[in-house]
Amino acid sequence: MNDECRIGVYICNCGTNIAKVIDAGLVRDRVADLPGVACARTYEYMCSNPGQEMIAQDIREHKLDRIVVAACSPRMHELTFGNALEDAGLNRHMLEMANIREQCSWVHDDGARATAKAADLTHAAIRRVARHEPLEKQEAPYTPATMVLGGGIAGLTVAVELADAGQHVHLIERESRLGGNVGRVDLTAPYLDSARDILAEKIILAESNPRIDVQLRSTLTDLQGFVGNFQATVTHQDGAAQQLDVGSVVVCTGYREFDASRIERLGYGKHLDVITSFELEQRLRAGKLETADGRVPRYVSIVHCVGSRHAKYHTYCSRVCCMTALKYGHEIKSALPDAMVTDLYVDMLSFGKGGEDLYRRTSELKTMFLMYEKEDYPVVRAAEKGDDCGLLVQVEEKLSGETIDVPADLVVLMVGMQARSDGADVARTVGISQDRHGWFIESHPKLAPVSTATEGVFIAGCCQSPKDIPDSVAQARASAAMVLGHIARGKVVVDARYAQVDADLCSGCRMCNELCPYTAIGYDPEEGRSDIQSALCKACGTCVAACPSGAITARHFTDEQILEQIEGVLAWRSSQP
Amino acid sequence: MAIRANPHLIDELEKYGAQDVVKCYHCGNCTATCPFSGEVFVFPRKSMRYLQLGLDVRLQGNLEPWLCYYCGECSEECPRGAEPGETMMSMRRWLTARYDFTGLSGLFYRSAKAELLAIVLVALLTGLGLTLFGLSQGSIDVYDGPGAFLPASSIHIFDWVMAGVLVLLLGINCVRMWWYTMGSDKEVRIPPLEYLKQLFLVPWHFLTQRRYSQCDRKSPWAIHLVLMLSYLTMLVLIMFFLHRVQHGPAIDWRAHAFGYAAAAGLVVTTIYALQGRLRKTRPHYQHSHETDWIFLALLLMVSLTGIAQHILHRGGWETAANVLYVVHMMGVVPMLVLEVPFSKWSHMAYRPLGMYFSTLREKAVLAAEDPEKSRPAAAAQTA
Repeated sequence: MNDECRIGVYICNCGTNIAKVIDAGLVRDRVADLPGVACARTYEYMCSNPGQEMIAQDIREHKLDRIVVAACSPRMHELTFGNALEDAGLNRHMLEMANIREQCSWVHDDGARATAKAADLTHAAIRRVARHEPLEKQEAPYTPATMVLGGGIAGLTVAVELADAGQHVHLIERESRLGGNVGRVDLTAPYLDSARDILAEKIILAESNPRIDVQLRSTLTDLQGFVGNFQATVTHQDGAAQQLDVGSVVVCTGYREFDASRIERLGYGKHLDVITSFELEQRLRAGKLETADGRVPRYVSIVHCVGSRHAKYHTYCSRVCCMTALKYGHEIKSALPDAMVTDLYVDMLSFGKGGEDLYRRTSELKTMFLMYEKEDYPVVRAAEKGDDCGLLVQVEEKLSGETIDVPADLVVLMVGMQARSDGADVARTVGISQDRHGWFIESHPKLAPVSTATEGVFIAGCCQSPKDIPDSVAQARASAAMVLGHIARGKVVVDARYAQVDADLCSGCRMCNELCPYTAIGYDPEEGRSDIQSALCKACGTCVAACPSGAITARHFTDEQILEQIEGVLAWRSSQP
Repeated sequence: MAIRANPHLIDELEKYGAQDVVKCYHCGNCTATCPFSGEVFVFPRKSMRYLQLGLDVRLQGNLEPWLCYYCGECSEECPRGAEPGETMMSMRRWLTARYDFTGLSGLFYRSAKAELLAIVLVALLTGLGLTLFGLSQGSIDVYDGPGAFLPASSIHIFDWVMAGVLVLLLGINCVRMWWYTMGSDKEVRIPPLEYLKQLFLVPWHFLTQRRYSQCDRKSPWAIHLVLMLSYLTMLVLIMFFLHRVQHGPAIDWRAHAFGYAAAAGLVVTTIYALQGRLRKTRPHYQHSHETDWIFLALLLMVSLTGIAQHILHRGGWETAANVLYVVHMMGVVPMLVLEVPFSKWSHMAYRPLGMYFSTLREKAVLAAEDPEKSRPAAAAQTA
């Protein structure tokens, strides 16, 4: 078969990255005479414009129909060379790269053996490329309507941004009101502006905009289709379900707070005057700060890291509690100027804009800061008779090495954030994954913070990880920008590489359905066959390997292609001792 | 056993002059920069911590404020402006009040009005008493010899009685200091023999202020030493040689040479300190408590009236000299009675005792930490 091909082979020196270990000329000489190879060259930098031009010229002059580039990882430059092929009139899939840099020159120092390995890898690529077929991308229209799950600050922001840009939004909220957890807060850190004001504006904008369809007491129960073409089923609390066609889904389902009663020594649930930060917010909002028996508290003790940064509970930092605790210092002092506030912390992580200033200002209000050892929570007990306080908080104070009893009338526990218990259901429905803490996973922690493994499904706010209001809003607006980008392009381009089921061979065992990490495989009960949504498939090959009938083939990763590659890599090895 | 935190302690210390303690976030720059902070006595950060946490029991038993001479480098290095140097200073005031069994010290430190009132009261009583006594003894026109208004022999007895009372008061406070910082601590045991062996440290530090001289900046030590030695010389002259210095009109140079030098030393250093505090020339002059001003003002007034009285007497203006003598005593008596046991001057006992106690503690703590070091000592005892 190779004899019918006209393959061009290009071996890159990558400056000295490859050349210092591998003799590219020797590799060229070894592969030049292989069947189907029409020309073989070496060059300093194949990825440079002259390098790409060299390929294009050879394609024209030598009538090449397949190209092998032995250079760096395909992650680095497969796109570059694919474009070069397309510019020269070849299908981009008629390319194969041999990775002789990351997988060879960078990891070996024996020049001779590394050169032999590079030749093997190049040989494998030549054998494989001979089996390549031109593949075409598919295109589908993009539905501009968007579904936003969760009406907290993130969801509201996404909805308002999209509606402002003229797009239609379905805002689905499981509770009976909009606002989420921000709606439970009094003032916000670090500038002490009112959460109510921040939220009220967004809620009014969302509710008054005709392009936003707010559905309260509703959840997403099913999502079919693929990017740009989802069919969503939204079910109301009363059981009524409706179908919605949407192009994108933005998940903003938020968090719930840690259950403080899990830490017995903190006395939550045992002493009525031990309350959580949300219970304090409630009292601050009501404007009435008093103990369970109606006294004005003289001592208020705040305990940080409740449920956070602890091996037994949650190992991560909840990111907002330090600033919130410092904010309480202010709020309590302004409500009760004679009250003494003590602040029991592990590390003061009041980072970011305004954080350090807030810390300084709270210190200046004579808040007493006590540092306790991580994972060694203070012990709350009832005060003794004759004490001028209701509770005593015993803490092993780290900076002094002393065991100290802190007087308290009210103990406030800074409960951390944790993933919602229904997170797994949401993840399964929309086809995204969760990390070990239950937070939804983004495509790339730095470069793709709001995209997910499922195209067209985005995440924003605390469902992704604990964060404060500015970060949630930033993610929400980033998601809105991503959605608007899709809508502006107006169509979805589906990668040409995906898996296909041969309906004649499929026995309908459904083994592949559960294995697919992208929930791309459905089942047609009428036909008794599994069916792959090409738009969702990432061509990972899991189903191909699992199918007991061999009914599934991944385009561009066919058995034939892979076997040829193996043959190629072993061809010279088998003849060696 | 847990210690109760007293959240009001900072408020209390603020009345003694502490400020900005809450700004400290324990970076430790102050302790790193302090030339005196060591293995056992780590300061000022630790004291700042005790204060922030309201651990009054720990602060009361703390010797560290007495080991600090307020060179002010810590305050200069502090990135938060938490004024550790001034905090140590106010802790010394607070400790002085704690040691004082009468409670007067705390009253004077917390209220300048109370102190001024007490000074005026004692001054008036002194003036009235001496005037009545003088008139009963002789004539206001006679300074010396028979019929003298305030004869040296009587004043001498008065001085010794007053000294006895003051030493008793200060002594009781010193015993209390020992109990708080040494006696009540069951953790550290110091054998009585060790107390005797190190006793020389008290006069040694009192006379040389050796530790002060080890600060990076030498001039505050020099000024302080001149002031202290001048004062001490004057005290010795008055307590032991009053008849020689008071009698005139001839000048007894063997005594007067010392007297003039001491008077000059007192005036110069007092004026230096006053203008330093006014202009805030040095770190330890940045913050002046009311008691600092009262102390310096009294000292200067006493020095100047003493000199004036001397000049008037030698110049033959005996009536005026007698009047000035009474005025001089109206400064001396309140200054000594109020400052020595209850206020700033008590540090002449607390500082050397602080050095003495801290040396004993340090030895005991290090020996307990490292048994190797203590073994030869134990062997020597049994031998």
